[in-house]
Amino acid sequence: MHMMETEKQIQRLNERLAYIRDIFADKDKPDVNLLAAAMEKHLLRSPSMNPSELREAALALEEFFASIEKKLDHELSPMDLVRIVRHPQRICLRDILENVYDSYTEIGSMDEHSIDPSMVIARAYITRTSGKRSFNQSVMIIGHEKGHGEDFRNGGSSKPWGNAKALHYMKVAETENIPIHTFVFTPGSYPVEDTPGAAQQIAANIYEMASLRVPVISVISEGGSGGAEAISLADRRLMLSHGYYSVISPEGAAAIEGRLRGGGRAANDLVEACAERMKITAADNLRMGYVDHVVIEPRLGARPFHYDFFRTLRHELLRVTDEVSISMRGLRPFREMRLRSRRKRAARGLDFEKAYVRWNLPPSAQIRLVNRRHKKYRRLSRQAAPDKTPLSRRISAAWQEVGWGLYSHFMHDMIQKRQQKVAEYVDEVKSEWTLFFERVLSPWNKLLDKILGASERVNRETMRKLTELSEWNVSLEQRGGNWVYVSARAREDRAVSCPNARVHGCLDLWAPDLYGEFAGVCPNCGHHFPMEYQWYLHNVFDQGSIFEFAADVECGNPLEMENFTPKLEEAKRKTGHKSACMVFEARIHDARLVVAMLIGDFRGGTVGAAEGEKFIRAAERATRKRVPFLAYVHGTAGIRIQEGTNGLIQMPRCTMAVRRYIDAGGLYIVCYDTNSYAGPVASFLGCSPYQFGIRSANVGFAGPGVIAETTGMVPPPHYHNVYKALARGHIQGIWDRREMRFNLSRALLTMGGRNLYYR
Amino acid sequence: MSGGTPKILIANRGEIAVRIARACLKLGVDFVCIYTAEDAQSGHVRLAREHGAKKGLYRVSSYHDANELLAVADDSGAGALHPGYGFFAEDYRFARRMQRRERPLNFIGPSWQVIRDLGDKINTKRLARSLGVPTVPGSDKPIYDEMEAEKFARTIYEFQLQQGIEHPVILVKASAGGGGMGIEEVHDIDLFRSVFRRIRNYAARQFKDEGVLIEQRIRDFNHLEVQILAEREAANIVHFGTRNCSIQSDGLQKRLEAAPGFAPASISYGFDAQKLLDAITAHSLIMAKAVGYDNIGTWEWIVTRDGAPYLMEVNARVQVENGVSAAVTRIRGEAGVDLIAEQIRTALGQPLGYSQEDISFEGSSLEYRIIAEDPKRRFSPWVGRIEKFQWEQKDWINLHTHVPTGEPYDIPTEFDPNLALGIVWGKDLEEAKRRGLEFLDGLVLEGRGSHADELKSNVDFLRARTEGVLVF
Repeated sequence: MHMMETEKQIQRLNERLAYIRDIFADKDKPDVNLLAAAMEKHLLRSPSMNPSELREAALALEEFFASIEKKLDHELSPMDLVRIVRHPQRICLRDILENVYDSYTEIGSMDEHSIDPSMVIARAYITRTSGKRSFNQSVMIIGHEKGHGEDFRNGGSSKPWGNAKALHYMKVAETENIPIHTFVFTPGSYPVEDTPGAAQQIAANIYEMASLRVPVISVISEGGSGGAEAISLADRRLMLSHGYYSVISPEGAAAIEGRLRGGGRAANDLVEACAERMKITAADNLRMGYVDHVVIEPRLGARPFHYDFFRTLRHELLRVTDEVSISMRGLRPFREMRLRSRRKRAARGLDFEKAYVRWNLPPSAQIRLVNRRHKKYRRLSRQAAPDKTPLSRRISAAWQEVGWGLYSHFMHDMIQKRQQKVAEYVDEVKSEWTLFFERVLSPWNKLLDKILGASERVNRETMRKLTELSEWNVSLEQRGGNWVYVSARAREDRAVSCPNARVHGCLDLWAPDLYGEFAGVCPNCGHHFPMEYQWYLHNVFDQGSIFEFAADVECGNPLEMENFTPKLEEAKRKTGHKSACMVFEARIHDARLVVAMLIGDFRGGTVGAAEGEKFIRAAERATRKRVPFLAYVHGTAGIRIQEGTNGLIQMPRCTMAVRRYIDAGGLYIVCYDTNSYAGPVASFLGCSPYQFGIRSANVGFAGPGVIAETTGMVPPPHYHNVYKALARGHIQGIWDRREMRFNLSRALLTMGGRNLYYR
Repeated sequence: MSGGTPKILIANRGEIAVRIARACLKLGVDFVCIYTAEDAQSGHVRLAREHGAKKGLYRVSSYHDANELLAVADDSGAGALHPGYGFFAEDYRFARRMQRRERPLNFIGPSWQVIRDLGDKINTKRLARSLGVPTVPGSDKPIYDEMEAEKFARTIYEFQLQQGIEHPVILVKASAGGGGMGIEEVHDIDLFRSVFRRIRNYAARQFKDEGVLIEQRIRDFNHLEVQILAEREAANIVHFGTRNCSIQSDGLQKRLEAAPGFAPASISYGFDAQKLLDAITAHSLIMAKAVGYDNIGTWEWIVTRDGAPYLMEVNARVQVENGVSAAVTRIRGEAGVDLIAEQIRTALGQPLGYSQEDISFEGSSLEYRIIAEDPKRRFSPWVGRIEKFQWEQKDWINLHTHVPTGEPYDIPTEFDPNLALGIVWGKDLEEAKRRGLEFLDGLVLEGRGSHADELKSNVDFLRARTEGVLVF
């Protein structure tokens, strides 16, 4: 009997050794070698030992293991953490459901028969007591399921329909008024474009989560980019101490850093260095404020047999959910008081199992919850986008903002609504009066006509009207080759071949014609060649109407990446902008609007903290001034990976700004030019109900190269083309570049939010 | 001309290429021809083989490819390019490109600004109105708004009623359209809106511009043209009289032209015809001066039965029927005017050497277009082989053709089926008509292919129309 147990013990130690070897991969760690040597020694000696010696030796070995593991745990590098969360022995959502919650029912999931086995939904409850009574507190559990190495789970990469399922049950939870716990165990979303596409669905998820009226708590173990954002927008974010939360996998970052194309693999030390630099660990994210609390895991990461850890996690979940709930209920002074006393009691060792708190919120608390959530995200990532506006100008801008707010409120919300009624009344009286007047004067007029030969007079008048030059201000048109701004490329004497020449038989085009009069559009097949952003700036909006603001919010290098600052300076020098996002007020045919333009020439139009901040300010300005908001995407390659989580967090931040703007009654239009991929499309751009692309633009989640690398399948040609995006329902129309101004103008006139006063 | 003049690339085919080549020979200028595989036996190819300069003939894949054309020009060392009519003749972008490229070429035609400004019908109309030149009653800017359009249409409708027109008709056309596309008539004003919407949607789809023009539909009119020629820099502008191009086939293809435009000496009109001809030439000259016209061009007019002239459009190029005007023109009393030679001369920067006072007109001239068409089948093109093509040589007949007379000729299906232009001259209209009939009688045109006998009915069509020429 004892023999058996000792053997089991040794076997377990052997497994631990194998796990440690997996974690440290091919790194040559002396401590790991030490463990291996000890184990080997023990195995050599064990046949000659009697049972009690054997037991002693095993205990000693186990102690030795524990001490070494403790040491190794302190030495874990970020890349080791990545290997921990990817290890098949890592705890998965199913383990949490089994061990943290008292009972659960999985929804829509029978392993591989589920619509998406990598996304698991469950209704669960936690039983708590209050005095003598006990309560079952329901929660909606939504999370990625990695499993322990099952193929069909796709490593936790959920597909768009998995995210759609998640969204559906978030809404169910909202209806049922129960809190949501989300568990993020994903390396990233599966980059498939279907109905819906990955980006489209993630955008929808973030947009809806922004104003979900129930508490949302998310727990991040492996937070990979967009896939994580799809379910992790929460009131409180917990992170497991051995998890990572990052904008891109370290391997992907290394591939970009090392400028690898076509599926080449980056060197191991570069991957390690990237993981280090991107600040992906729980401690880093806590420091930067992107997670609220870190749940300490056992050494070298939680595995299914760490039952203590599940207790800790349960404890944390209860504490946090209670806190959210308490801080929303009741009147403000009582809220604060109760929260403070609760925290004090918790510090003294309150048993959460016996301290029941109601989790369903009354309507007033729900509104407060959503507002708090918006405020929380608005504050994030401030440190990464330094605003270098001089103080004097900042003060004047603040005053202007207050002024505009007041003006809009009085002018539009109070006066104008009544004004319309008065005008209607005046019109009615006027028409009555004219009718009466004509009736009275008609005999006199008839007589006059007879005497003066009025018909002749009328005839000459019509003749004049029909044959003389009428007034027409052509310069207002800005269309059909009459461009205010002409591209610099229109000065080269060369012929340009249309890429569709083989299909449509287009003749070669002369560059001055193509980039000048044709606005970069092949007249035969309609292929749109990329144009610089200035073209839109000057040819789409009224001349001289552009007023740029927040120009001094400058993008920096918050993670102090090597070699990145010079590249950033180069981009700033080249474009003359301080970030890839230009925000301005402009007019189209005298209709005012606020525009945020993502400039593709600035680091590929990538979005970092500064761009996000400017975008949010633009949305706020549009709300304040009650004008439409246009996001013009000249091109975007995604989130700026060099900013790490500072960039990633812009996805929910900007989407929440958009959500606030639309909820306030605004009109949000998005226009895509050239290529728009990844994060921004999967959040604040993709969530717009009115998205339009020009022909030949590509809109999607991940570029063809990334798809090939992550899924192993080469996507078909034109996979991200706007026509496909239109068919998927992602974008709502395809516009010709030459008609951009006209179409936008008409869109502004025909669509409109209920609270816009721009005409 | 001297050796300093540049070589001319003739960027066209058929009859006009032959005429340009002949004009070059007359002026002593080197020329280069291009041809495609279908045109290997055409007249201009033979001329280039016989008389063209060294490096004077190139086979190209298409007459439409600007890049290929310019490559030929560069290779052959040509310094000027004659576009003829069709193809690149009214393509201002091509003209602009020739001027602005690194090795500029002289575009034998008006400057690109002029081609662009007069190529746009709205612009032409507005220019005319600003100069007081009469235009068709209607809008002179694109209308986008439906309410505004209907109001305007009603005004035109009532205007026609006031003029005593029993069935007023309104023309709705896409402002960016052309070539008869996107035009519809409105007979019932209550149906205007549906037509407007249809045209607007069609225009948005086809031309990417929703603008719509609304005009009075002029019925029952004569089509007159004024031939203009100007020096470069528009220093000296002269006109070569008027011609009447009212006789057209069903496809609105001109078939029989006459110069001068009216014959008040032989036929009585309901208005003062001579005064009207003077008025339209004067208006045309005013407009040509205003735009700085600098080459050959044609002002097209429509004249109603009441004698009201309206400017229709300006063709900023040489036209097919320029020969009929040349036939009645005398410079300092001398016949044998070649407008294409004059055009080349002025385009190369030479002064005209005469003024309007030196130009006089004598007699009357008719031009017959011999086209391989089938009048019984709505003038659809006839395809086949011309076996025999002969005419009687007379000193009053001037016949331009690219069709070889001694050998059979296959009509290429890729291009329009023009065969020849026969220009006859008489000292007055009666003689011209008589000689015209004589010319048609002497014409031998035999072909092989389906409906070969219809080639003859073509000639019959012309014979029948000769009687009615210039009668309103």
